[in-house]
Amino acid sequence: MKKAKKTLRYNLLLVLVISIFLPTLVNAQAASNETAILKLHYFNINNNVQYLLLESSTKKNKVFTPQKNILYKVYLDTVSNSNLISSIKTNDAGKAKMFFPPYLKSHWDKSSTHMFIVMKGDEEVLTDYYITKARLEIDTTTIDEIKNITVKVSKEDNGKLFPVPDVEMKVGIQRLVGVLSGGDEETYTSDSSGVVTVPFTKINMPGDSLGNLILVAKIEDNETLGNITVEKKAKWGVPMVLSEDFFSKRELWSTRFRSPYWLLFMAYAIIIGVYSTLIYLIVQLVKTIKIGKQGPPPLV
Amino acid sequence: MNLVWKIKQRSCNKIKKYKVENNNPISRDRIINDLVPKQFGKRGMIWTSILILICLIGAYAYYRQLTKGLVVTNMRDYVSWGIYISNFVFFVAISLVGSLITAILRLADVHWSTPLTRIAEIIAVSAIVFASLIIIVDMGRPERFMNLFLHGRLQSPIIWDVTVITTYFFISLFLLYLPLLPDLKILIAHRKPSVNKFHKLYVFLGSFWKGHKEQFRLNDKSINILCVMIIPVAFCIHTVTSWLFATTYRPGWDSTNFGAYFISGAFLVGAGAVVVAMYVFRRYYKLEKYITEFHFEKMGKIVVMLGLLYLYFNINEYLIPAFKMKKAEEEHLRELFSGSYSIMFWFAIFVGMLIPIFILITKKGRKPLPMFIAGIMVVVGAWFKRYLIVTPTLLHPFLPMQNVPESYKHYFPSWEEWAIAMGSLAGALLVITFFVRILPIIPIYETIIEQNEESQKDIAV
Repeated sequence: MKKAKKTLRYNLLLVLVISIFLPTLVNAQAASNETAILKLHYFNINNNVQYLLLESSTKKNKVFTPQKNILYKVYLDTVSNSNLISSIKTNDAGKAKMFFPPYLKSHWDKSSTHMFIVMKGDEEVLTDYYITKARLEIDTTTIDEIKNITVKVSKEDNGKLFPVPDVEMKVGIQRLVGVLSGGDEETYTSDSSGVVTVPFTKINMPGDSLGNLILVAKIEDNETLGNITVEKKAKWGVPMVLSEDFFSKRELWSTRFRSPYWLLFMAYAIIIGVYSTLIYLIVQLVKTIKIGKQGPPPLV
Repeated sequence: MNLVWKIKQRSCNKIKKYKVENNNPISRDRIINDLVPKQFGKRGMIWTSILILICLIGAYAYYRQLTKGLVVTNMRDYVSWGIYISNFVFFVAISLVGSLITAILRLADVHWSTPLTRIAEIIAVSAIVFASLIIIVDMGRPERFMNLFLHGRLQSPIIWDVTVITTYFFISLFLLYLPLLPDLKILIAHRKPSVNKFHKLYVFLGSFWKGHKEQFRLNDKSINILCVMIIPVAFCIHTVTSWLFATTYRPGWDSTNFGAYFISGAFLVGAGAVVVAMYVFRRYYKLEKYITEFHFEKMGKIVVMLGLLYLYFNINEYLIPAFKMKKAEEEHLRELFSGSYSIMFWFAIFVGMLIPIFILITKKGRKPLPMFIAGIMVVVGAWFKRYLIVTPTLLHPFLPMQNVPESYKHYFPSWEEWAIAMGSLAGALLVITFFVRILPIIPIYETIIEQNEESQKDIAV
């Protein structure tokens, strides 16, 4: 009985010690661990411009810190000078953007799938980033007075294009800070023929001065296709002519040339009133000086 | 009618009693000898050297700010108006004393304030000069200062402030200069040019003053016009300064009461500064015959009245928002009442207002030394009050501070800011010191005239 009590006491003590020190140990371990994070993104804009974006950061205590001024070399498929895409330093945000040099065009055209290798000094820090060349097409159709946006996604294989099913994408209108979905869903997935058809429900959207909206289809961070964006102008919006009246009004928020009349009147009335009095006082002082030049006053 | 006669009689009795105490009248030569500027003694030189040293440290700190940018300060995105703007408001407040002592009391035909007018005007000019300079110090790119005039919008209260400060500076300078003219004649004639260090300056400023009757008439007229004009301009300068805050939608600043609140505070700190100056000059230059206990008694009563007025506006300013405790105001007010600014807040209320009022409300408290202590308390309390008006509000915006570096959420001035702020305070004191060295602190001519009038009245009685 006594032995059992003693064992229980030791166990309780052990639990207590562990419960006190374990979080500290875990935190200390976590604090000492700093993980380097390197991400590479492939972008294809309007099936025309391709570029890579490299992001370099470290993670410590759940805080991400961008790595500035780190030199990276990015290669296409193999590490050789002829396949060097760019030798580039990260900026203050830990990012580096690079375009494909013209001398890699023939190599790029040779294959449908390419691998990107990132070197930091002599060390290969990223080797498993593959991209399959793909094409995104956007078109507009009107059936029974219903406007539709049709997007087709296809990838290249041996120089030929094949539809890609099950690709998630955003389809909508390009607004100032993002893509506003053209239909009712936030995102859409391509069908077996690689096509997405979105009935356009956003009517009376403000467009440019001619009523043009920029329709956009966007694939984001796809494992094999990367980031692909395609845009098309459509005259589906309401022409927006900015009213100059708002800015031409004489209001408190207007430019300095359009101060309200009441303010101008008040301000200038005060300024003129005060400064004309000051000028009057200066005139009085000048008179005083002139009197003084006549010599001392006569003795009475 | 009877009551008015009784009050006049009591006032006359008091003046007679004060004259008897001070063995008046004083002879003309004695007045001139007592009041002409004197060379600094050892203490004066030490005082000036200390001020110059503080100014030099401030200048070095400003050099660092100019070369490295505003990053040397601890002002960031949220607290973009720090100790510099607190100092600016403080200087503007102190400068208001010129209109109180010189203009209001003169227009009210109060003659006892004559020995204090020059002190008040010197303080006003020095303070307004440094109020203007500290605004330039607060600018990250001071070389672009002219853009304020070239591209400024009349709709902006900043333009109003710049305009009214410039105007107030000119008027204060005029009000310092015009009453000085008869004194300059006395100063020129008093000592030989070889002995008088500032003879050339006096000649330059006032050699044209010959004492013609017409000169006196023109001068008196000009001074009266200035006294009338300076009051609305002085009210404008402080109201507009308060509008810099009140037109900005922020907790603690969103008040329709701000103009009156600032003006009452400015009168209080200005009067406090005059009391301190009165005591120091009286003691250092042995001016007991001119700045008497009677003057302290009167100024004490004025400070009590102004203290109560400012207290009233403070209650309005804090009680009503605290009663409603709107969510956005709540955090700001709690920080002031019981949070990280509470010590400073209650210090400003007690030391800057309540304790001086309690000291000065008694007759014994209106003696020179207690009044000097109360004056210091008012001035120091007022400086902290300005800090409290500016900084805590900026740290409590309506929208929460998110995704910003930790340093953005707090503010404590860097050493450069402290050095520049203290340098500007020392600079203002230095300007006052130089004025005092060059000009008579108490108007000589007016004192002689008043003494003659009183003695003639006494003879007539």
